[in-house]
Order: sequence, then C-alpha cells, then structure tokens
Amino acid sequence: MATSRIAARQRAGFWFVLPAFLIYLVFFGVPFVATIWLSFTEWNGVGQPAFTGAGNYLRLSGDTAMWAALGNNVIWVVIGTVVPVFIGLIIAVMLWSDARGSMTYRTIYFLPVVLSPVVIGIIWGWIYNPLFGLLNTSLRAVGFGNFAIGWLGESETALYAVLVTAIWSYLGFCIVVLFAGLQKVDPELVGAARIDGANARQRFRHVIVPQIRPVLTMVIVYTVIGGFNVFDVVWVMTSGGPNNASEVIATYTYEIAFRGNEYGYGATLSMVMSVLSLIAAWITMRMRASDEGAR
Amino acid sequence: MIAPHASRRVRLWLRHAVLILFAFLAFYPIVVMWITALRPSNEVMQNPFGLPTGIFLDNIVNAWVKGRFGNYFINSVIITVPTVIGVVVLSALAGYGIARFRFRGRMLIFYTMLLGLTIPFQSVMIPLYYQLLAMGLLGSYLAVILPSIAFGLPFGIFLMQSFFEDLPHELTEAARVDGCSEFRIFRSVMLPLARPAISTLIVFQFMRTWNEFLMPLLYLQDEARRPIPLGLMFFQGAYTRDIGLIAAGVSLSTIPVIIVYLIFQRQFVKGLTAGAVK
Repeated sequence: MATSRIAARQRAGFWFVLPAFLIYLVFFGVPFVATIWLSFTEWNGVGQPAFTGAGNYLRLSGDTAMWAALGNNVIWVVIGTVVPVFIGLIIAVMLWSDARGSMTYRTIYFLPVVLSPVVIGIIWGWIYNPLFGLLNTSLRAVGFGNFAIGWLGESETALYAVLVTAIWSYLGFCIVVLFAGLQKVDPELVGAARIDGANARQRFRHVIVPQIRPVLTMVIVYTVIGGFNVFDVVWVMTSGGPNNASEVIATYTYEIAFRGNEYGYGATLSMVMSVLSLIAAWITMRMRASDEGAR
Repeated sequence: MIAPHASRRVRLWLRHAVLILFAFLAFYPIVVMWITALRPSNEVMQNPFGLPTGIFLDNIVNAWVKGRFGNYFINSVIITVPTVIGVVVLSALAGYGIARFRFRGRMLIFYTMLLGLTIPFQSVMIPLYYQLLAMGLLGSYLAVILPSIAFGLPFGIFLMQSFFEDLPHELTEAARVDGCSEFRIFRSVMLPLARPAISTLIVFQFMRTWNEFLMPLLYLQDEARRPIPLGLMFFQGAYTRDIGLIAAGVSLSTIPVIIVYLIFQRQFVKGLTAGAVK
C-alpha cells in the first residue's frame, strides 16, 4: 500500500516537467531531427526534398570554402581563447592582490558584455573606418599613416579586426569569472610560497593557477564553444567578406542556406556545427571530471 | 632600507596604471559613440576625437524619428517579457520536478534537455523556418518568443534543478504530512526559497533575448516588428555615411541597457557568469 502511494507521488514529478518538455520538443527537438534528415537531401525550399544519401557529406570533403571557413574558426578559437584568458588572468590577479577599487574596475570591465553584438559591431566598424575612424586617425597623428589601411576591407586583416572586436566584447567576462575563481584561493598559501622564495611568476604558475583550474576550464570551454559558433559580430561587421576572408562556418552556413537556397547542404553544414559543439562538450565533461578527481 | 618600500609603491602605481588602461579600453569605445551623437557629422569627420562644442541634439531627434527607435524598443519589450516569464516558470516547474521526484524516464528527459545546452541555434534554424511557416507563426512575435523559450529552457532547468536539489527535504515532508498537494508545496514552500536562482535566471534570459539577433533576422522580417538589434542594423545600413546619426542610434540602444546594468549590477554579473562559476 505504502509503496504504491510513494510511486504515485513520484509520478507527480512528470507533470511538473511536461510543459517544459513539450515546448522543448516542438521548437527544438523536432527541428533538430528534421535537420539530421534534411542533411541527407537536396532541397531548394520548394516541393519535396530529394534524398541523396551521403552525397552532402561527401561534398563537404571537397568544399574548399567550407574548409577555409573552418580554418578561420580554428584561428578564432585559438587566439580568441589564449589572448583573453592570458590578459584576463593577469588583470584578475592584479585586482585580487590589491582590492582597492576592485568593484569599480570590474563594473567597467564588464560593460561591453551587456551590449548586443550589433552595437559592438557598429562601434568597432566606426573605429576601423579607413578615412575617419579612430584607429587610422590616431595612426596618422603619430606618423604611422602608412599603416592606416581599411582594416575590415583588406583580406589580410578583416578576420583579425573582427576577432579583436570580439575579444574586446568578452574580455570583461573572462576577468570577472576568473576573479570569482580567485576568491577561493588561499592567500596564506601564496604568502608561504613567497617566504619559500618563489618569485611572482612561480607563485602564479604553481600556486594560484592550480587552485583555479575548474574555473579556468569553464572559461576556456566558453571561449572555445563561442569560437566555433560565432555568427553575430562577423555578420554585422563583414558578412564574411571581403572575398570570404573572414568567413566562419556559421556565416557560410547562413549563406549556403538562405542566400543560395541550398537547404539540404545547409543542414549538412549545421550538422558540422552540432558535431563540433558536441565534441567540445564531451571534452569539457572529461576535463571537469579530471578536475574534480584532482581535488 | 628605503628601497624595498619605494619599489613596492612603484609596483602599486604600475598595477593601477595597467588597470586604468584596460578600464579606458573597455569604456572609451562606448563613450565616444555618445559624444559623437552630440556632434554634427561634418565636425566628427574632421576630428573624431573632438568634444561637443555646443548643445546639438539633431542627431538624437532624427534617429528617434527616422529610426523609429521608440517602436523597436516596444518590440523588444513585447518579445523579451513573455520569453523571460516563459523560461522562468517552465524551468522552475521542470527543475523542481527533476530534482525532487523519481519518476520513470526522468533522467532521459533531463539529458535530452541538456543536449540543448551544447547544440547551437544554427542546427535547427532551417527546418524551424518551415515549421513556423506551416504553423502560421512566421513573421509574428511568437515566431521568436516560442523558440527563444525552448532555447532558454536547457540552461534554466539545469540551474533550477541544481538549486532545488540542494534544498533540505524536511520542509516538504512537513507540508506533506499536513496534507498539502504537491503543487501547493511547490508554490508556497519551495518557490519562495528559490528567489536567488530565479533572479539569476531572469537577468541571464533577459540579456540573451534582448540582444538576440539571428532569430529575429530569420523569423521576423516585418519591419514594424523588429526588435532593437535588428532595427539598429537596418538603420545603420540605410545611413552608412552619417556617423552622427548612427552614433545617435547606438546611444539610444545602449543607454537603457547600461542604466539597467548599473542598477542591477550584482544580479547581472551573477546571472551572466552563472554557467561558468558553478
């Protein structure tokens, strides 16, 4: 008797979950399964999709534009992780070791994080403006007029110019998260290392970093996944141009699907993005497990 | 004897010099847009670093009228408020259900929903377009609201589930002995305790929806229904050469968010970093 009443009570949980699960299934689950199916077809949006088997996936291997875009994502992931994590760690440690004004600094550093990518793209588009922009005006003023180029219009610089913008927009996020992680570091341990003769770099490397490993891992995961999925800021600033120089997988997918009306192949490219994200998530879970094991 | 003391002071100053430099780098690009909005475009072209020479509000007025920023603002509110409410209510319910009950299929549902944490929106955008079209929703506010709720749920449920799991069981047991229904227990006992997690979720979801770009770009093509980011992008496209006007548009869209941020700073930082610091 008692057990069946408990079982009945446990079943009540299902009704709590049901509304959320339904919305999720209809607006995420169904279209996701449809993407998988669509990725094996050819379809221009009219009539019925034509099943082509693995055709789209074979096409991927010979799609040089796709590989170039993916290469840009890799550049984005590497630079967009190493630079903000490195600078972010230094700034966070500076804030942590001297608490004066730390709240004010953090408030300001975090400001760009709350802005929309469209706003960020427009602001930096103006900074990079070849004729009147802040960057080139400054360069000319200090006698480096030769370097005053159209940063977003040149194939060599477009990707990096957008990447700098993106780093600007989330550096504050890295600082604040790493600072939060540092609150768990034991200052006495750092002091002890100082007495034992460890210099600032050694203290940083061997005493502080190991203690904030889990938070560091999370920041890296955030920048890596963000780097593979980036769309907004690139789309607003260059739309992947000039001549696909700043194309990333997300802008390329958008163009194939909604500009070229190749919805089947577009779905295949979507699947590439999903697989990359799932791999990143899997590696994260492994790293987290090992972090927790180490503690 | 003086040397170590002096060098410590130098180090302190150096440290603050670096901190101030980065504060300047973070803040100046935003401020320069506000300043530019208050100057005539031809002056800006001559010296982009200059300050306003008088009271010049033409750009702001023009942007408000031509750019219809009042309209975009209302659209953003119409989209964001129901999305945030939807995500919070559904996540609280589902997070509670998963954390506090042991029903069959519970873990399957939980993991299926966590999948949504990693899969990017691009992975559903194509079929979802046709699905919304078939449902007769394409171009309506709901075409952005409903998918935004669905995409907010994985994080929301993850957050609420881990919060409810940590609450003591004694409270619910006592209410159960008193004969409360399961929903009453949730509503009157557990939900009030979840306030910190809920405020975190509200801020996180608010920012995410307020700044959402790709979803309205695809599913809300009607000009009259554009939210701020989309409206601003088309505004910028239409007046590329008039930097003063564009700066006014940027200012009109940044100042409200920044004011809200400065008021609810703590919740913002907690909300936006909740995923990372867990």
